[in-house]
Amino acid sequence: MSKGQDITKNGTPMNGATSLVKSLEAAGVDVMFGIPGGAILPAYDPIFDSKIRHILVRHEQGAGHAATGYAQVSGRAGVCIATSGPGATNLVTPLADAAMDSVPLVAITGQVPSAAIGTDAFQEADIRGITMPFTKHNYLVTDPAEIPRAIAEAFHIATTGRPGPVLVDIAKDALQKETVFNWPESISLKGYQPKLQPNAQSISDAAALITQSHRPVFYVGGGIMKANASKELREIAELLGAPVVTTLMALGSFPHSHPLHMGMPGMHGSVAAVTTLQKSDLLITLGARFDDRVTGKLSTFAVNAKVIHCDVDPAEIGKNRFADVAVVGDLKHTLIALIPALKAALAKNRPDLSTWLRQVNNLKSTYPLGYDKPTDGSVSPQYVIERIGKLSAPDSIYVAGVGQHQMWAAQFVPYELPRTWLNSGGLGTMGYSVPAAMGAKVAAPDTTVWSIDGDGCFQMTNQELVTCALNNIPIKVAIINNESLGMVRQWQTLFYEGRYSNTNLESKRVPDFPKLADAMGCVGLSCDRPEDVDKTIEKALSINNQPVVVDFRVHRDAMVWPMVAAGTSNDDIMIAREMAPDWDSQEL
Amino acid sequence: MSKHILEVLVENSPGVLARVAGLFSRRAYNIDALTVGPTKDPAISKMQIDVDVEGHALEQVISQLDKLINVISIKEILPANVKPAPTDTQPDYQN
Ligand SMILES: Cc1ncc(C[n+]2csc(CCOP(=O)(O)OP(=O)(O)O)c2C)c(N)n1
Ligand SMILES: [Mg+2]
Repeated sequence: MSKGQDITKNGTPMNGATSLVKSLEAAGVDVMFGIPGGAILPAYDPIFDSKIRHILVRHEQGAGHAATGYAQVSGRAGVCIATSGPGATNLVTPLADAAMDSVPLVAITGQVPSAAIGTDAFQEADIRGITMPFTKHNYLVTDPAEIPRAIAEAFHIATTGRPGPVLVDIAKDALQKETVFNWPESISLKGYQPKLQPNAQSISDAAALITQSHRPVFYVGGGIMKANASKELREIAELLGAPVVTTLMALGSFPHSHPLHMGMPGMHGSVAAVTTLQKSDLLITLGARFDDRVTGKLSTFAVNAKVIHCDVDPAEIGKNRFADVAVVGDLKHTLIALIPALKAALAKNRPDLSTWLRQVNNLKSTYPLGYDKPTDGSVSPQYVIERIGKLSAPDSIYVAGVGQHQMWAAQFVPYELPRTWLNSGGLGTMGYSVPAAMGAKVAAPDTTVWSIDGDGCFQMTNQELVTCALNNIPIKVAIINNESLGMVRQWQTLFYEGRYSNTNLESKRVPDFPKLADAMGCVGLSCDRPEDVDKTIEKALSINNQPVVVDFRVHRDAMVWPMVAAGTSNDDIMIAREMAPDWDSQEL
Repeated sequence: MSKHILEVLVENSPGVLARVAGLFSRRAYNIDALTVGPTKDPAISKMQIDVDVEGHALEQVISQLDKLINVISIKEILPANVKPAPTDTQPDYQN
């Protein structure tokens, strides 16, 4: 637990609300996102005096995603705060989102006074009950003396082991009553002792299995980011000289430009990444969870591969795929132990991976990611995203919504650095981008932050641009306006005979995005000709004292390729409609 | 058909029964029977959970249960005349 300078002394009398704020200070919080209301109101009085920056959002969902964006960029816990009832239920989506993507988040909610709990009181909602399935843990505090311990434990649980969201619901009377501040010296939880140091036997078994493999691949997931283990990943990948695939949650953990990088696997992954997994004889799995979007039809996934599964969460081992060697521990610790063990093992027996590397590199050069330019002179969405990636500084942060634009942002921006790519991978939450970008910008105020959003997603949470405008959080939003719920439309094209039921948003007619941006205190720009794309991006990049929104009016029929259709095998990957790779020309 | 009996020590905190029951429900594990009782330590309760799973699935049940912060320990109770089955499942590197 980080220590601020002027931590309040234990034993100081104060009310519960002050104790809450002092606890947040003691936990090292520097910013939180929230909206007041009746039940949490006592806390807002001491917040007024606190050195913690409170950013007043326009919707609690925005507070939750902003806290997530902040956490994903900073690596520290994000904090959001809301009132009881509707305030708390508005946090449900970001909490579920954070649980799926293992984001360290602490949510504070006010609850009706303890005597009223269970009476269907005004603005009462059982938020502890509601959020049980998708918080790592949660609390209902009715005794003011318990506040500091609950907060200390919440931060401890959220940020250690496999990170995740923790909610602390505090009854209004507990905030109002007098108490004595008592920040715990240490935290010991009988039922929670995450295992960080891997077992020595598992490390030597892993090293031994690697030396027996002739077609190994590093299958790297979001866990690598949480463990801050990019450096170690690069070291072990180069030591073995095996190909690396990085999932949607791991983009940037291994440089895109690295010759061993095969790209992203999964439903819209590269042919090289998907096929490298499929044909491998050993998946060296680092903080990945065999999600269905990566494995395709599970029974046909990498059928000839053995599995080394390294994860801090023991419950991930064997959940979807049997692990021949399980290494439970923090990935950084794991790799620090595995690198010398592997070095020693390779010194005795170094398998020849040259054929394997030639094969996968051949796939990589034969099937690069690409797209067709529209023939009608309209703007291609992939081109816009590619140009944004080229023209922005190398350390820029990209925060996607959910849909086609998200996949293109994953495919066409070359991520070189960890924590520069944020998205809602597990839950697939439309509306994530603008508020998460806001949180990202708060965590990295000197870095360019692009929200790459869909016209559909943008209409879910764009009100946080008001928050950005008023609080000097100058993010840049690229709306990839294909006037439709494009990803759903793509499925209708492919699987519903082009019957476009309720996917036409008409967002080239209404709303007028630049005007909307202007009304929210942002600069609104628009672009609908390929030759204006660079100019417009440069204009957006030159404005740094205000948020900027660019309405990129793009071709509506562009599709995301490659694609492994849901429920089918990765072997059936399509590089375009009804077009499989030419397997006969590959030696795999 | 494979019945296993788990003895689970939990912190006696409000909501702990809902946490355990909710976990079984959302992960689609079947509970045959569940009883909760006190222990000598008033801060700790004992649950006995009869589950109808085996192999990997039993390990999943145990690991997922173990993730609940209020769950302190989980032990499988074997009937007096039964020897533990040879493990053909995940290598146990967890402890
Ligand atoms: C909250 C929520 N509702 C519905 C969906 C289902 N969904 C997934 S992608 C998508 C379309 C998104 O449209 P848009 O933001 O315009 O992105 P595009 O695919 O057009 O790039 C929808 C409706 C979702 N993921 N999240
Ligand atoms: Mg769209």
